[in-house]
Amino acid sequence: MWTFIVRRLLQSVIVILGVTLISFISLQMGGDPTYLFVSERASEEEIQMIREALGFDKPLHIQYLTYLWNIAHGDFGNSLSYRQPAMGIVLGALPATIELTIFSMVIAITLAIPFGVFAALYRGRALDGSIMTMAMFGQSIPSFWLGIMMILFFGLYLGWFPISGQVPFLMPLFQGDFATAFGNLPSSLYHLVLPAVAVGFYSLSRNSRLVRSSMLEVLGQDYVRTARSKGISERAVVVNHALRNAWLPVVTMIGLEFGFLLGGVVVIETVFSWPGIGRLVFNAINQRDIPVVQASVIVLSVIFIALNLIVDLIYVRIDPRVKL
Amino acid sequence: MSKTRSLFMAATASIALAQTATAQVSDDTLVVGLSADITTFEPAAISSRDNANIVRHIFETLFSIEGDGSVVPDLATNLAISDDGLAYTYTIEEGRTCHDGEALTAEDVAYSFNRAKDPANAFTGNTPGFVFSSVGFVDAVAIDDLNVQINIAAPNPIAFGLLAEVYIHCKDSYEAMTLEQAAASPVGSGSYKLASWTPGSEVVLEKVADPGTFQNIIYRIIPEASTRSAELMAGNVDIITNVAPDQIDAINASGTAEVQAVQGTRRMYVGFNLSEPFAAMPGGDAIQNPDVRRALQYAVDVPTICEQLLNFPCVRATGIVNPPNANQSLTPYPYDPAMAEKLLDEAGWPRLEDGNRFTIRFQAGKGRYLNDENVVLAIAQYLSDVGINIELDVMEWGSVYVPLIRERNVGPLFFLGSGGALWSPLYDMTDLAKVDSGTNYTHWSDPRWFDRWADISAAKTPEEQRVIIDEMLQVFYDDGPWLHMYFQPDFYGVSNRLNWTARPDEKVYLFNATLN
Repeated sequence: MWTFIVRRLLQSVIVILGVTLISFISLQMGGDPTYLFVSERASEEEIQMIREALGFDKPLHIQYLTYLWNIAHGDFGNSLSYRQPAMGIVLGALPATIELTIFSMVIAITLAIPFGVFAALYRGRALDGSIMTMAMFGQSIPSFWLGIMMILFFGLYLGWFPISGQVPFLMPLFQGDFATAFGNLPSSLYHLVLPAVAVGFYSLSRNSRLVRSSMLEVLGQDYVRTARSKGISERAVVVNHALRNAWLPVVTMIGLEFGFLLGGVVVIETVFSWPGIGRLVFNAINQRDIPVVQASVIVLSVIFIALNLIVDLIYVRIDPRVKL
Repeated sequence: MSKTRSLFMAATASIALAQTATAQVSDDTLVVGLSADITTFEPAAISSRDNANIVRHIFETLFSIEGDGSVVPDLATNLAISDDGLAYTYTIEEGRTCHDGEALTAEDVAYSFNRAKDPANAFTGNTPGFVFSSVGFVDAVAIDDLNVQINIAAPNPIAFGLLAEVYIHCKDSYEAMTLEQAAASPVGSGSYKLASWTPGSEVVLEKVADPGTFQNIIYRIIPEASTRSAELMAGNVDIITNVAPDQIDAINASGTAEVQAVQGTRRMYVGFNLSEPFAAMPGGDAIQNPDVRRALQYAVDVPTICEQLLNFPCVRATGIVNPPNANQSLTPYPYDPAMAEKLLDEAGWPRLEDGNRFTIRFQAGKGRYLNDENVVLAIAQYLSDVGINIELDVMEWGSVYVPLIRERNVGPLFFLGSGGALWSPLYDMTDLAKVDSGTNYTHWSDPRWFDRWADISAAKTPEEQRVIIDEMLQVFYDDGPWLHMYFQPDFYGVSNRLNWTARPDEKVYLFNATLN
């Protein structure tokens, strides 16, 4: 297993290099970024001075190699907009996104499993129809529209939940300020409800369908029939025999989805004024704040790779047939 | 059972606690919802309007320009301009201090100017990038404790107003800080100091001196327009900027807030790129003819665009200058498609067999101005109606359109806005100060305009200057490089508990805001 982990980590370096190269080239394709940082009344001399100060005067390959060299020395550069270390800004925004992603995944998974199981057990009946209708809506409704509707109904009309904003929990926790972190926890969870549901509703729907189809496949297997014929209770058959095997594709999907959500919550972060990494990257791309974009890409890539690795390891644990 | 009850009690207490945290705004606190994030508190790096609106509460300037264009002293009590117009000597008020307690002297003022220009700092904000470029700033020298001299390279009729935009701070505190520290921990000279800043989330200011009514001002970053409106209507925010036109009625009907709509100073126009490379493009040759450009003025129904797409009854512009300072003898071009067709026929561009007169590319960015994409679509349709075959190219604003604009490489038709001011017509006109000005995106070169700048500089009285300005504006109206549109309206949502009036120049200053 250790050989596998080391091999995957080495592959990861190549993947990260590739990702930084692609994002670097993409950002340069829009033209000279200097123009976003100078006044429209700046003279050619002033523009050239700023171009040199920002390092955009050098050939692209030199800019990229310099960037890699600096990364190797732990220097991810300064944000062109914030004038602060880019990696610090990205890591400052990351906890908010992790909070949102974890909470939305918790909602999605804890509901998707019973929904999928019951839909499979009651296949073709009203409960199955209701759950699958909900799942169809969940996969059809754009998350930003759902978010705005929830704001208007649960936030503005009913006044049950905060309309927008975030109360940090993970950030003070990471900083070792436990009193603040746990003091914030109730309010933090309270602020998380609407955005997490908006983010998680799609995953809930997709995973419900996945669990259902997986369960239906497993419930038709011989060993399930054998278990039933031995007189084991239906609950034990479902939980111990069927669900354990139906769980395999779901674990894979959850792992990938977590990474996908980390980078994909930008719309919901905008709707709910959630100061996370998605919104940060979106703004940085618009402002061509290349150091922030690059630092974000690296962080998200590392998380994605780590998640995939963890999923693979979990897979081995829950399916003894798989060998690394 | 008792365990269940305990859990229920704990959950209820948590929600109650959380609800306390989101209680409505207290009377000593003003909350503003902004659409754009704040990136820095470095006074020489501020470039966005939202950022400047916050920072202006932290830093003083030498003079202030009010919403109506009038000028009032701020840090300075007097200004003397040398006969050659190259030296501006300001006398600053005695006894002023910065937030760290350091006395604010002329040396600090000079340092604030010179630090912003220092190439080693590579600042790209409004002060070095716009003010200094526009006035030809040379240096600032402290004459004594209270007098500071600002030197500029050439006489400039709008230098005074531009120099009033420079933020003043103390020397010792900024010399002791790194650039990173200065960007995050400002030591200001104004009424408020920075209490906390959570990037992407909120900025909290705390009052340290007059003027200022509220003890705290909280700026919350709320990018989505619907969410800002909901927060305002829920009573969690007192002022929101950039209200979407389609939400005005809902806010006004809420009973908790109202929308203040003001005609802003930003001039919206369709530019005609008259440069040689663009003249060689389809349609580029047609718009070289001033008669064609004039014909197109009649083709677009600007008041209808304003009412239908901006939800505001704006008056069509007559030129480059904001209405109070415009040539008062000019009237906006009416919507008269028949006249447009007649003038196009006379200019030698009749309809061909396919019904079109000529084809031309129309470029625009989206997401920068109020409902800009729909406005552009409407303009394209109006032009199509008089036989112009429009190839519309609407692109992403920041990363695609802005570089094209800055390279003056957009068109032949392009949609753009340009920030204006009320305190001087010349401020608005300096977009076209020279043929090769960075803001002359049209490459217009009519000597009846550009040669007159020397006359303005030579004018001995304001009345004499005004005559020249009006003549220039007449040329711009008749044969200019802009299809005149409107001055962009600005919409602010204001809570009913607040007494505050929006300004037309996009500056959100809260010193005089009070509770009703």
